[in-house]
Amino acid sequence: MKLFKHSCSALLIAMASSAALAETSVIVSNSNPNSAMDQTTVSKIFLGKAKSFPDGSQALPVDQDEGRKAREAFNTSILGKSDSQLKSYWSRLIFTGKGTPPKQSGTDMEIKTLVANNPNIIGYIDSSAVDSTVKVVHKF
Amino acid sequence: MRRKIYWVPSLLALAIASPAMANDLNINGFLSVGASMLDVDDNSNKTLVAGADNQGGFKQNTVLGIQIQKQVNDTTSATGQLVSRGSDDYSTEAAWAFVTYAANDDIDLRMGRLRVPFFQYSDFLEVGYAYNWVRPPGDVYRVPFSSIDGIDFTQRFSSGNLDGSVQVYYGRFQGDFDTQTDVYAADFRNFTGVVLSANMGNFGTRLSYHQAELLLDISDPTSVFSQAAAGAAGISTLLADPSAAEDFSFEGQTSQFIGAAFTYDNGTYSAVAEWTALEHENSLFLDDQAWLVGVSARMGVFTPHLTYSSEKDSFDSGNEGAIQELLPLQYEQTSITAGLRYDYDSSTALKFEIQNNDETKAAGIDGDSATLYSVAVDVIF
Repeated sequence: MKLFKHSCSALLIAMASSAALAETSVIVSNSNPNSAMDQTTVSKIFLGKAKSFPDGSQALPVDQDEGRKAREAFNTSILGKSDSQLKSYWSRLIFTGKGTPPKQSGTDMEIKTLVANNPNIIGYIDSSAVDSTVKVVHKF
Repeated sequence: MRRKIYWVPSLLALAIASPAMANDLNINGFLSVGASMLDVDDNSNKTLVAGADNQGGFKQNTVLGIQIQKQVNDTTSATGQLVSRGSDDYSTEAAWAFVTYAANDDIDLRMGRLRVPFFQYSDFLEVGYAYNWVRPPGDVYRVPFSSIDGIDFTQRFSSGNLDGSVQVYYGRFQGDFDTQTDVYAADFRNFTGVVLSANMGNFGTRLSYHQAELLLDISDPTSVFSQAAAGAAGISTLLADPSAAEDFSFEGQTSQFIGAAFTYDNGTYSAVAEWTALEHENSLFLDDQAWLVGVSARMGVFTPHLTYSSEKDSFDSGNEGAIQELLPLQYEQTSITAGLRYDYDSSTALKFEIQNNDETKAAGIDGDSATLYSVAVDVIF
């Protein structure tokens, strides 16, 4: 139990420090006409409460794979929910046919490629992975 | 379902690049397993889990649900959810089976088998993972059927921090109505209602109104309602007021259900308050009010929670009420539910729960109290 506690706190410290260092960018395709989006807008799209971008075009959010640091940072900072809270949130929608969570679509590189090639897709990646193929609409 | 995108190379490229959401067959499921044990010998107490006894039982808490959803085209999807319940000897029922037509981003029309949206937790009543209780308190969640066949219309709205929806439905329920004493064949017609729900920041509210015309087959002379109807006829004769017994029947008289719920969740602390009332034109069902107040605290993987719930029947006025009082119909009770949820991982929750139910009145006479101990594992996949 003591070992468990220690490894937990070590994990927490590791998470806290990596979160402090890493910056995450919310990205869309260069051909997506929307520019900066605030946290509320991004959060609504990823929680399925908004199905379009501010300009009215369809929005398809994609998530990083479970366990990725960028995903944890995104859930905490943008959505303000823990993994379990999100699972519970989506279970209420999935099992009523009201919505499905964003697809788990890989890591920074895979998300970037998806976003670059489809103006409807919105994702988030570590800021260090951002390049000219995508457009940053929000940073945290 | 081959799509004709092969003709258009650019569309093909898009289809490969996109996560192909439009073509997905979504399969999801939930499973709850658990055990309950009652601290009294016989389970005359009908509010706690049916069939629970002091020998412990695993079957009553087991629920398996499988849901398949397919986006048929841009605007239409099909959803089916099959639920198998241990309390029902694992017979499988379609809890949901509907086609959704999305008129636009904010308007959905659904037709088929739908959940009756009576309560705050009605839509995901059996998805144990979605709430902290092993099951919602039975004194408030007291309607013994959960799906109807019909149509509904949902309009979502969103403005700044506020978002919500208005749902209107119409349908019919035909099926078993299980009072745990007897099972009646029911036909609830012109079943209709409206639900308004709204969320703003940490606060949520849900208001609903429902009504239906109730037909219940009480021809079995050994059933409680059959005997109560006969008793009512006898007593009304003694009272020299035969007309007072007229509504001790199920001939399509209207019943109404009103519900109001408020929720708060700041991520750490959450609270829910739900009040509901039933009003029946027939006199065999007593009008009642039931409510609950619950709080919980999320502390990492542990979520302790506490809920108080109460249900109280009331009599009609005049001779109808006087007759009701003499028949074995009245219930009045309160419950305290205390539990602990442990999130083992992001798809599995382990729950421990103690529920004390105190019946002031049961079937018209003084009731008993009983305590139910439950453990459950809820998984979603």
